[in-house]
Order: sequence, then C-alpha cells, then structure tokens
Amino acid sequence: MFPTRTGTETDIRLPFSFIIFAVLALAVSQLVLLAAVPALSGGAFRLPLVWSAAHLALLGFALMAAMGAMYQLVPVAFLTPIWSERLGFWQFAVTAVGIVTLTASLAFMPNQAFFPGLLLFFGIVLFVWQMAMTLKQQGNKTVMTLFVATSLLFLLLTAAAGALLTFHFFAATGANSHEMVFGLHVLFGLCGWFTLLIMGFSYKMAPMFSLAHGFSMQPARYVYALYTSGIAVALIGLFLPGRALLTIGAALLTAGFALFAWHVYTILQKRMKKVLDRPFQFSLFAIAIGLGLHVAALVAVVVGSGRLLGIIVYLFIFGWIIFSIVGYLFKIVPFLWWTHRYSEKVGQENVPTLKQMMNERSITIQCLLFTVALVLAAVALLFANVPLFAVAQALFAGLSVLFAGTILAVFRK
Amino acid sequence: MDVRELAVQQLKTVIDPELGINVVDLGLIYDLQIQDGHIDVLMTLTTPGCPLHDSIAGGVKRALEQIDGIRDVRVQVTWNPPWTPDRMSEEALRQLGYFA
Repeated sequence: MFPTRTGTETDIRLPFSFIIFAVLALAVSQLVLLAAVPALSGGAFRLPLVWSAAHLALLGFALMAAMGAMYQLVPVAFLTPIWSERLGFWQFAVTAVGIVTLTASLAFMPNQAFFPGLLLFFGIVLFVWQMAMTLKQQGNKTVMTLFVATSLLFLLLTAAAGALLTFHFFAATGANSHEMVFGLHVLFGLCGWFTLLIMGFSYKMAPMFSLAHGFSMQPARYVYALYTSGIAVALIGLFLPGRALLTIGAALLTAGFALFAWHVYTILQKRMKKVLDRPFQFSLFAIAIGLGLHVAALVAVVVGSGRLLGIIVYLFIFGWIIFSIVGYLFKIVPFLWWTHRYSEKVGQENVPTLKQMMNERSITIQCLLFTVALVLAAVALLFANVPLFAVAQALFAGLSVLFAGTILAVFRK
Repeated sequence: MDVRELAVQQLKTVIDPELGINVVDLGLIYDLQIQDGHIDVLMTLTTPGCPLHDSIAGGVKRALEQIDGIRDVRVQVTWNPPWTPDRMSEEALRQLGYFA
C-alpha cells in the first residue's frame, strides 16, 4: 500500500526550463535551416549553417525536451525521486550555455567549436550522472529501465564522439578517422540515444494514453536484444572495410524496430480507450515513419548510396525523433501545467480536463501540416528540387513557431 | 441521504483529467469504511506509476473532507489487486467509446 502522496514529484520549474528552451530552439533551428535551403537541396548536408541548425534541432530541441521530459517522467514511471534537483538546475544552465555557444560556433567558427563542445559534454555528463543515481534508487528494475539506462550510455558515447569531431576541427587533425567518428556520432545519437529512449518511454506512455491492459511485455526484451545487437554490429561494420557487417547491422536494427512497432500495435489492440487523442496518434504515426525509414536505410546500405542515407538521416530526425517528441510534448506540457495549477483543487472545485488545456483542432491541423512538410521535403530531396524544398522548409519553420506558441499558450490556462 | 451516499456523490466529483471519467465509474474505489466521523478509503489507479497518483488520491481526500461531520479522511492506494477494465461502469465504457 502507498500513502496519498508518492513523494516523487519534481519541482515543476526544472522540466519547464528544459521544455521552454526546447520549443524556442526548434523554432530558431528551422529558421536557420531555411537560410541553408539551397545547399541542402543540392544534397550537401555537411556545411556550417546546416551543422548549426541540425545541432540546434537535435540538441536544443530534441535533447533538451528529452531531458526535461525525463526529469518529469523518470520519477513517476520508475517511482523514484530525482537524485538532486539542485544539480538539475545547474545541469540545465551548463547544457543550455553549451548548446547556444556550440551551435553559434558551428555556424560561424567551426574550428573553435571544441571548447563549447566540451562545456556541452560536461552538461551531458552531469545529466547522465543525475539519471544514473536516480535509476540506481529504483526498487524493481524493469525492461523500461534497461532501455533508458542503455540510451543514457549511448548519449554519453554520442557526446564523446561529437567532442572528438570538434577536436578534429580545432586541432586540424584526425582526417583519416573523421568519417568513421562521424558515423559513430550519428549511429550512437540517432539509434542508441534517441530511438532507445523513445522506445523505452513509449512502453510506459502507449498503455497509459490508451488505457491498455492485459498485454504481454515479453516482446520488449527481443526488441531490446535485436536493436542493441544491430547497433553493435553496425558499429563494428564502421571500422571494417566492405558493407557486409553494416548491412547485417542495418537488418538487425530494422528487425528490432519492426518488432517494436508490432509490439506497440498489439498493446493498442488491448486498449480500453477506443478513440485516441490526436497528439498521441501523431507519436504513433512517428513510429510508422520510423519503421519505413529503417527499411529505406537498409536498402540504402545494400545499394551503397551515401546520398540516400543522408536524406534518410534528415527524414529520420524529423519524421521519427522530432515528430515523436512533438506528439508527446503536446501531452506532457498540459499535464505538467495542469498539475501545477489544478492538482490541489481536485475534489474541491471543478477543474478542466487535460484535453481542455489545449485546442485539439489546432493540434490536429499542426500535425497534418507537419506531415505535409515532411512529404514535401522528402520529394524535394529525392529529386533535388530546390523550390519545393524551400516550400517544405518554410512550412517547417512556420509550424515550429506555431508549435512554440501553442506550447507556451498552455501557461495562460 | 446517508453519509455513504454522500461520500459516493462527492467521489463522483473527482475526475481523472486524462480520461474525463470520475473515480467511481472508473472502478478505482475498492473500499469505503465510515465510522464516527472518520473515512478510510482503499483505492487504486489504472496503472502503477500513474503520473496523476497524487492529484487523484489527494482529490479523493479533499472531496470527502468536505462532507459535514467528517473529521478525518485516510486514503490508501493499493496495487493489490491491480485495477482491471472490468471494474469500470457502463457509463465509463460509453465515455471511452467502447459501444461506438
């Protein structure tokens, strides 16, 4: 039995600091990317302005949103309080300054990105330490713990590989290993950190938002085994000549993701809530996109098309990672603000439901337009159509500003 | 109206904000012991680690404390037995779109 209060609540200012930074960073990143449209459409991804925008989207938005969400979700999902909230605020400050200075350096002085990169690395180390100490306190470890703990390890490895890349620029060295470290950085970041993390929390949120009961969690172990094996094999493949191991790694990653998608589908088959909320539907849609892109990446590895892989990485960041986080933020932010404003009023007066904290019609339209923008971007990149890509990116930029406005408007409720 | 009926009526004002359904129709209330101005509530939530744990359990306590003559309310949340969907009322199922 448990008393009325769990004692695991986090100071609301902590997750909100990260989330507000995140939504603003997304808007800025998309505006910066808009300026890089001509270069992107030509198939050139590795340019200072693109690096800057990509890192602002992935670090400023996705990483910060994930960190903020974890400060809120880890205590409730794992029934253990955050190890040190004070450290959390310091970690926010260090990471935020690290991201701003790193993305500015990448845009204007890439060879000077090493020191901001080190600061960001320190912020990430503080976060991983915080979460490791928090998870250590958890009584009964679950398969979700395994997903989240492994993703944290990959976050650290991604940051280390990133720091090494910035050192290459700084010291004008490492030319012979730069491509390999870049491959590690992308593999660890996109598959090891973001994908494992989203998978782990989806196992909590999918049943919760759909009120699913009586499903098996057994397949999650096979998802974990397949996906982490895929990362390991692809990692070895990056060190060896030829594409055989990379192909096997990509096949294992695709199999793991396909099993994950099927598992979530079986969980939803057991749901009691027949009509799912739009934001949650959007996060589920992101899983379908992620599956399609894993298959596409496998094909690209088999045929050895670096250009196609570059396009897939771009679509993966938006369609799988950013769409998942956007969907979940549409659910998490109203919940956090509702808890702050109305939790203590339940049972005393009428309080709004979470659905009433946001305009669902506006969310539906935004989700639809995000999808249109992704399709346009995919077509534009495949056919190297600059005007079409400009339209897609302008749509992304406008939607990111609208999304930030929608999230910030919750605080007026 | 006796105190038990009043208590159930009060509990129906406590709404799960995610589902929009009250705790009675959701079948979250396992037991209600009322004696000499004291109420002991044994309840559950739809899932362990529910982020609304404190809001809902606290809401139950506050709702019952508003009944005249009630001096003390004790709420305990249990996972044994765990909540199952068959505890929901027809009204709750209807609201979840189960009969659509």
